Amino acid sequence: MDLLEPTRQAFALLFSGDPRLWQAIWLSLWVSVAAIALVAAPSIALGFLLAKKRFPGQRAAVVLVQALLSFPTVVIGLVIYLLLSRRGPFGSFELLFTPWAIMFGYMVIAFPILVVFTLSAVQGADPRVFETARCLGAGRLAASLTTLWEVRFGVLAAVVNGFGRAISEVGCAIMVGGNIAGLTRNIPTAIALETTKGDFSQGIALGFVLMVVALGVNVLLALLQGRGGLR
Amino acid sequence: MSAPLLALRGVRKVFGQRQLFSIGSLAIEEGRAYVLIGPNGSGKTTLMRIIAGLDRDAGGRLEFRGVPANFGLYPERLRRAIVYVHQHPYLFHTSLRHNLEYGLKRRRIPAAERARRVEEAVAWAGLIDRHAIPPAELSGGEKQRAALARARALEPELLLLDEPTSSLDREGRAQTLALLAQLRDERRTVIVACHDQEIIDLPGFRRLRLDDGRLAAPAG
Repeated sequence: MDLLEPTRQAFALLFSGDPRLWQAIWLSLWVSVAAIALVAAPSIALGFLLAKKRFPGQRAAVVLVQALLSFPTVVIGLVIYLLLSRRGPFGSFELLFTPWAIMFGYMVIAFPILVVFTLSAVQGADPRVFETARCLGAGRLAASLTTLWEVRFGVLAAVVNGFGRAISEVGCAIMVGGNIAGLTRNIPTAIALETTKGDFSQGIALGFVLMVVALGVNVLLALLQGRGGLR
Repeated sequence: MSAPLLALRGVRKVFGQRQLFSIGSLAIEEGRAYVLIGPNGSGKTTLMRIIAGLDRDAGGRLEFRGVPANFGLYPERLRRAIVYVHQHPYLFHTSLRHNLEYGLKRRRIPAAERARRVEEAVAWAGLIDRHAIPPAELSGGEKQRAALARARALEPELLLLDEPTSSLDREGRAQTLALLAQLRDERRTVIVACHDQEIIDLPGFRRLRLDDGRLAAPAG
């Protein structure tokens, strides 16, 4: 198969400002960013608590969150579909096949990644961090925030990975978004659709954007780690 | 006679079936410097951590300025009054200035006063030329001095120092010993847990010996 011609067409499409293409790119970006922005704080807090607090059922909670990591995203999509469908408990909100449904799905998908990465980062933190903060007069919340700041690159990696998982996800987005052109079609669902239709140029163009975004976010993380000193 | 700054009553620490120590009573007077000595495993660090509220699983109680408290419900007020410095102090991975300011900010010290104390702390610890260097790049002795300066800048009512010279080279030890002598001369209330004979022999430091589960305050 000739790859050169579709690739040339893909770049021509990208730089022509094709509205359908850029609509999918914009939707992917804002929905992913919004999902991570909304889910990051509670997930990081839960990851911290699971790492630092001892309570009955803590181990089971960790195992459950870890298990969520390997949950197929189409199953997550199915559950959200059932919840948001007209006859589901949240059907009256009419969110199914809207970007909000995709955003909710992304939040669920990113949640275990953020929790597990944060848990791992905090468990790896020097136990003297929290104690030192407490000894210097910090309350529990301030000492917890100081600990998170000390492992900030691990937490940042959690956010980057959560974002990467969300923006590249396809199964859940198709299930709850419906892949409607101009409304819920985003980069991965558009790639899946256009490829099955045989339109490789659009798939390559979108795939290129997705890789640039993924690379850009990871380069940014590396730069921040470099500036702060790798630990 | 006024109440001691700190009094311990019936403080016990048990690990499983083994009792590490049981201290009938101990009084720490304000403005005095103490060395806490004893063999390895006698519980010096554990006792310091109990006093600092880091180990709250201990029997007995303490009185601070005559106000009783128990370890399980360690009062937040005491965390501001008593500052503990680890054997291997931790400096936050930020800047030396941030480290020195950290506790001052928690105490809501005004910015001008904070700046004055930070400058004074840097000079006291002899770290003026190391001011801009990230804490991770400081030597062991410099880290120890920075941690001492950070604690001293808070002007705590009681300063607990755990083996401050344990992992230092000759020069680092000498510099830290000089700072300990200054703390004594400034009439800070300080307890130094140590093995270091040079600290033990520092004039003006009262000895507390923790051995075989008992605490004694021998003369000298």
